[in-house]
Amino acid sequence: MTHRPYTPWLFLLPGLAVVLMFTMFPFLNMIVLAFTDADALGGGQFTGVDNFLRMTQDPKFWTAVRNSFLYLCGVVPPLVLLPLLLAMLVRRKVPGITFFRTAFFTPVIASAVVVGLIWTWLLDSRGLVNNVVETLGGTPIPFLTDSTLLLISAMLVTVWKGLGYYMIIYLAALANVPNDLHEAAQVDGAGPVRRFFSVTVPALRPTMVLVAALSAVNGFRVFAEIYLLSGGSGGPGGASTTLVMLIQQTGTGLTGEVGYASALSLILFIVTLGLLLITLRLNRKEDAL
Amino acid sequence: METTRRTFLIGLTTLPLAGCGLGGQQQGGGAVTGEIKGEITFQTWALKPKYTDYVNGVVEAFQKQHPGTTVKWVDQPADGYLQKVMADASAGSLPDVINVPPDLSFPLAKKGQLVNLDEALKEAKGDYLENAWTAFEIPGKGGCYGFPWYLNTGPIFYNKALFQQAGLDPNKPPTTFQELEQQAVQLAQRTKVPMLAQTPTIVDFALYGVKLLSDNGESFVFNEPKGVEFLETAKRMYDAGAFVPEALTQNYTGAGAKFMAQQTALQPGSAYDLGKFKTDAPSLYANIGIAKPITNTGHAAMFLHGVSVPSSSKNKPTALAFGRFVTNAENQLKFAKLATIFPSTKGSMNDPYFTTEDGTDEARVRVAAAKQLGDAVNYTPVQFSSQMQETLRQQVADVMLGKKPAKQALDETVAECNRLLK
Repeated sequence: MTHRPYTPWLFLLPGLAVVLMFTMFPFLNMIVLAFTDADALGGGQFTGVDNFLRMTQDPKFWTAVRNSFLYLCGVVPPLVLLPLLLAMLVRRKVPGITFFRTAFFTPVIASAVVVGLIWTWLLDSRGLVNNVVETLGGTPIPFLTDSTLLLISAMLVTVWKGLGYYMIIYLAALANVPNDLHEAAQVDGAGPVRRFFSVTVPALRPTMVLVAALSAVNGFRVFAEIYLLSGGSGGPGGASTTLVMLIQQTGTGLTGEVGYASALSLILFIVTLGLLLITLRLNRKEDAL
Repeated sequence: METTRRTFLIGLTTLPLAGCGLGGQQQGGGAVTGEIKGEITFQTWALKPKYTDYVNGVVEAFQKQHPGTTVKWVDQPADGYLQKVMADASAGSLPDVINVPPDLSFPLAKKGQLVNLDEALKEAKGDYLENAWTAFEIPGKGGCYGFPWYLNTGPIFYNKALFQQAGLDPNKPPTTFQELEQQAVQLAQRTKVPMLAQTPTIVDFALYGVKLLSDNGESFVFNEPKGVEFLETAKRMYDAGAFVPEALTQNYTGAGAKFMAQQTALQPGSAYDLGKFKTDAPSLYANIGIAKPITNTGHAAMFLHGVSVPSSSKNKPTALAFGRFVTNAENQLKFAKLATIFPSTKGSMNDPYFTTEDGTDEARVRVAAAKQLGDAVNYTPVQFSSQMQETLRQQVADVMLGKKPAKQALDETVAECNRLLK
C-alpha cells in the first residue's frame, strides 16, 4: 500500500472547507474591507489607511475603547476569584450539593437575550430593585440611564452569567490538586486560609491565568449585555458603547459603513490577539518557574 | 513539498480575496415593456400567518388575470428583515417584488438597485395619492422607486386618569407644543408621572416646523434656530421630569410599553395601537383619551410601506404588473378592512368604511385618521438612515443631561448626518 501525500488533506477537506468558508473568508474579507470605504451594498474604493486615521479623530472610537478596557478590568478580577471560591464551596460532598452546582451553572446555558431582559426588568427605573429601594425610602437608582452605572450593571450581569462556566473549569483543576499536599501542610500546622494561599492557589495558577485570559477576551468583546440593558443605544448619549457595539452600530443596515466597521474589527482583533499573547507569555513564565 | 505548501498557502490567501471586497452594482432604468408571464417571487414583511389568506387570494387573482404567471410568495419575519434585504441586495439576488418602506428603498435606489417607476410605468402615478407617491421619490432628484402600499397615521393617546390626578382637564389634552410643555410640567410636579417616554425624533422636529433638508435634498439643515428652540423646549421638559429616565435610550417599542404600563401619560400612536390597548392593557383602555396629533405645520405625520421592483429582476414586466396589482385600489381596500391600515390609492378613502362612524372608538380613530391622511406628510426623510437616527438620539441625550448646549448638539448631528449622506 502506497502512501500518497495528499491523503491526509482528503480527510481534512470537509472541516477545512467549513473553516475556509465561514472563518477564513470573512476574516480576510474584513482585512481587505478595512482599507476601503465600502458600504453594505458593495462597491467601495481603496482608501489606504484613511479609516484608521479617522479612528484617531473619532470620539466614539475612544469612548468605545475606554469602555471596553474598563469592562475588561471590571470583570476579570471577579471572574478569576469568585468562581474559584464557588468551586471550593460546591466540591464539598454534602447532600443536595448537585442542586447548587446545577443552579450556579444555569445562567451559563440561559440565552443572553433572556438574561438581558430579566436584568432589564430588574434594574429599570420602575423595576423590582428600584421598587424595593423606594419602599425602603430611597430614591430610584439610575442603573440603566447613567452611563457609569449602566457599565457596572452590565459587568454584574457578565460576572453572574460567567460564574458557573469558570466554576466548572476550576472544579476540574481542583480535582487535580494532590491531596497529600494539603495533608502535609495540615501536618505542618497550616490553617484553611494558609492552605488556600500556599497550596491551592499555586497549584491552580495556570488555570487562573487561563480563566483570566478567557474572561479578558470575552470582557473586551462584550456586546449582548450592554446592547440589551441599553435598549440597543449604548447608553445615554452612547457613553456606554463598547467596541463591538460600535462595530455593530457602524456597520449594520443598508447604509452601514462596512469599510470603517471592518477597520474597527481589525483593531478589535489585534487587541484580542495581544491579550492572548500576554497570557501565553505569562503561562510560559509559569512553566519556567 | 515546500513548493506545494507555498502554492497551497498562496491559494488559500488569494481565493477569498478574489471574491471579496470591492463588488459591482447594477443599474436600472428605461421604460419596461414585455409580456406578463412566467414566475416571479414576492417578498413581504411579517404578514404570515395573520394575513396568509389575504395574500394568497391576491396572488391567485393575479394568476387568474394573467394566465401563464406564477407568483411565489415568501414572507420574512420582521426580525432580521433588513439583514435579509441587505444580504440579497449585496448578492444581487433580491426577489422580483419586495415590500419596503421608503427609508429602505432609498439606499437601494441610490445604488441603482430598484426600478424607477417614473420611467418604467409612468401611467401608474395617477392611481396613488400624491403624498404617498412622493414619499418614494428621492428628494431633489426625482424618480419614484416604489408603489405606495399601506399608510398609517394616528392620533395621540393620553391617560385621562393620570391627567385628572394632576389637576388637568381630561377633556383638554395639549393641542400645541406650548400646551404640551405646560401640561407635562404640571403632571410631573403634581404626580411625579412623566408625560413622555421618548425624546424628540426627527419626525418631532418636522412636526414642530423645523426645516430638515435643504431644497435640493443634498444636506440636512435641522440645526436652524427653530430646531435649537425645539430642543431647548425638550431640555426644559426633561429637567422638569416630563420624560421617563429611559427616554434617553428608549426606542419606540419601549416607549409604547411604558405608556401601556401607565408609567407615562401621553403617547403618539396609530389606529392599530388602540386595538392593542383594548386587549393588552384593558385598565388603560378604560381611561384612554384620543386627540389630534400635535403639529405646527398643519399636517400630521404619515408612515407608509410600499412594494418595489429590483432592477436585478429577470421578469420585470410581470414584477411591475404584480406590484401595481397588489397595490391597486381594490386589493388595498380589502387589506385595509382586515388590518388597521389605510389605502394609498386615490379615492379609496371615500369608502364608507373610512367616512362613517358607528359609535365605537375604533371607528372614530379610523375616520379621523383617514381624514388626516388626505394631507399628511411622510416626515421621515428617506435619507435619514439608522446611523443618523442613532446620532440624533445620542446627541439629544447629551443635551438632556446638560453635557452640551442644544445648538452644539444639533450642529454636530447635522455635520455627522451630512457626512453619512455623501
